[in-house]
Amino acid sequence: MELTLNVNGREWRGDVPGRLILADLLRDRLHLTGTHLGCEQGVCGACTVLVDGEAVRSCLMLALQADGCSIRTVESLAPDGQLSRIQAAFLRHRALQCGFCTPGFLMSITELLDSGQRYNREELAEMLSGNVCRCTGYEPILDAVLECQD
Amino acid sequence: MATWGLHAYRARDLTQHDWRTEAGGTVKPAPFEYHRPGSLAEALEVIGRYGDELKPLAGGQSLIPMLAMRLARPSHLMDLQRVAELRRVVREGNVLRVGAMVRHRDMERTAEVPSVVATAIPHIGHFQIRNRGTVGGSLAHMDPAAEWPALSLLLGCSVVAVSTRGSRRIPADDFAIGPLMTALEPDELMTELLVPLPEGGGGFAEVERRSGDFALVGAGCQDGTVVVFGAGPRPQRLAMTEQFIKAGGAPGPELENIAALEIVARGDIHASAEYRRRTGATLVNRVVRQSRTHVEGT
Repeated sequence: MELTLNVNGREWRGDVPGRLILADLLRDRLHLTGTHLGCEQGVCGACTVLVDGEAVRSCLMLALQADGCSIRTVESLAPDGQLSRIQAAFLRHRALQCGFCTPGFLMSITELLDSGQRYNREELAEMLSGNVCRCTGYEPILDAVLECQD
Repeated sequence: MATWGLHAYRARDLTQHDWRTEAGGTVKPAPFEYHRPGSLAEALEVIGRYGDELKPLAGGQSLIPMLAMRLARPSHLMDLQRVAELRRVVREGNVLRVGAMVRHRDMERTAEVPSVVATAIPHIGHFQIRNRGTVGGSLAHMDPAAEWPALSLLLGCSVVAVSTRGSRRIPADDFAIGPLMTALEPDELMTELLVPLPEGGGGFAEVERRSGDFALVGAGCQDGTVVVFGAGPRPQRLAMTEQFIKAGGAPGPELENIAALEIVARGDIHASAEYRRRTGATLVNRVVRQSRTHVEGT
C-alpha cells in the first residue's frame, strides 16, 4: 500500500506491505539504524521515536499506521553533526556506556523537554521507567535531563 | 466471542518465527489483508463481511506484538485510525461517552474524567504506551490485569457494540468473560464506553514489580462498590466486602479478612495465588479508606 511520511523533515513515499512494522521500515528501508530494536515487543523502549511529536515505540506500530505523520528519529537531533543539548549533556554526565538504549532515551526525553513542563527527579525516574538501561543505573541520565530542563 | 492465548504477548520464545524477507525489509507478522475504513459505516461493513477472520486494530499496543510473534494470525486486519466517529469524548448529562479509539493520553487530558480514573491512568503502561493505547483496545483485549476492564466494572460502565444488525449496550460485568475473552460477537465493533460519572471521590491502587509493569493485583473503590483485578481470570466485584461497608463497617483488619475470603486468585510465575489474595485484600482496605477520605474531605 502507498505510504507517505515526513521523516526528520523530509518527505518519504513508498509502497509497503500492510504487515511491515514501523521500526523495520525505518531501519531496513530508510537505513535510519539509529533506531535500535531490542525486545521487539514493547518492553525495552530502545526503538522509541516521535510520531507527530509524541514518543512511541516504533516496534508497536505498523508503518501504515503512521501514514501522513511526521516522524523524528535520533538522527534528527544532530543533523549537522553537532550534538544537541541533551546529547551533549549525556556525554558530559556519562549517561551511557554501551549506548544501545540511548536513542530511545533521547527520543523519550525529547518529548518531555519539548513539552516545556518541568519534572523533578522522582517524576523523571517515573517517566523514564519505560526505557530500559542496563549499564548506567539511570542516575547520570536523570542528571543530564535535569540539567537540560534549566 | 473473541479469544486469544492468555498473556500470549508476554511469551519470550521467538524460535517459531518464520522470518521472511520481502523486497526491502524484514516482516514479522504473518500475511493479512489490511483494511483502513474511513467511516464507521464502512468499518461495520468490513467486519460484517469477515467476522472472526478479522481483527480490528486500535492502538496496537497489545495486538502488534501478538502479530509480530505470530501468536495472532488474522487473515484480515482492520485499522480503525481513520474512523473519526470513534475518537470523540462527549458528556451527556451524567454520562461520559468515550469513543473506542480515544487514547489513554487523551483521557489523561480530559477534565471530566472521574477522579478514580485520573488516579488509575498513570498506571497504564508507560507514557509512550499511553500515547498510542486506546480505551477500546484495552477493553477488547481484556487482560485480567488491565485497568480499563476494572474501572468499567467499578463505575458500572456499558460497552456499546455495533454491527450492521444493530446496536446493543453490554454492561461491564457481562462484557468481561475471561482472560482475553469478551462478549463481543465476531461481527460487532465496540464504538463507545459509557461512563456514568460518580458523585464523590474514589480509591484506586495496584502493586506492580516496577512502575509501568502489569499489575500483580489491584483494587478500586467508588461509592461503596469494591473491585479487585489482576488476581483472577477477570475483574471481580467483592459482594461481601461491599455489604460489610454498607452495614457501616469501617476499614481495618475485619474488612481485610472479608476481602481475602472472597478474592478469587490464581498463581503464576509472577506471583502466587496466596500473595495475590493477601495483597489484594490489603489494597482493598487501602482504597476503601482512600474513598472515605475523599468523601469526608469534601
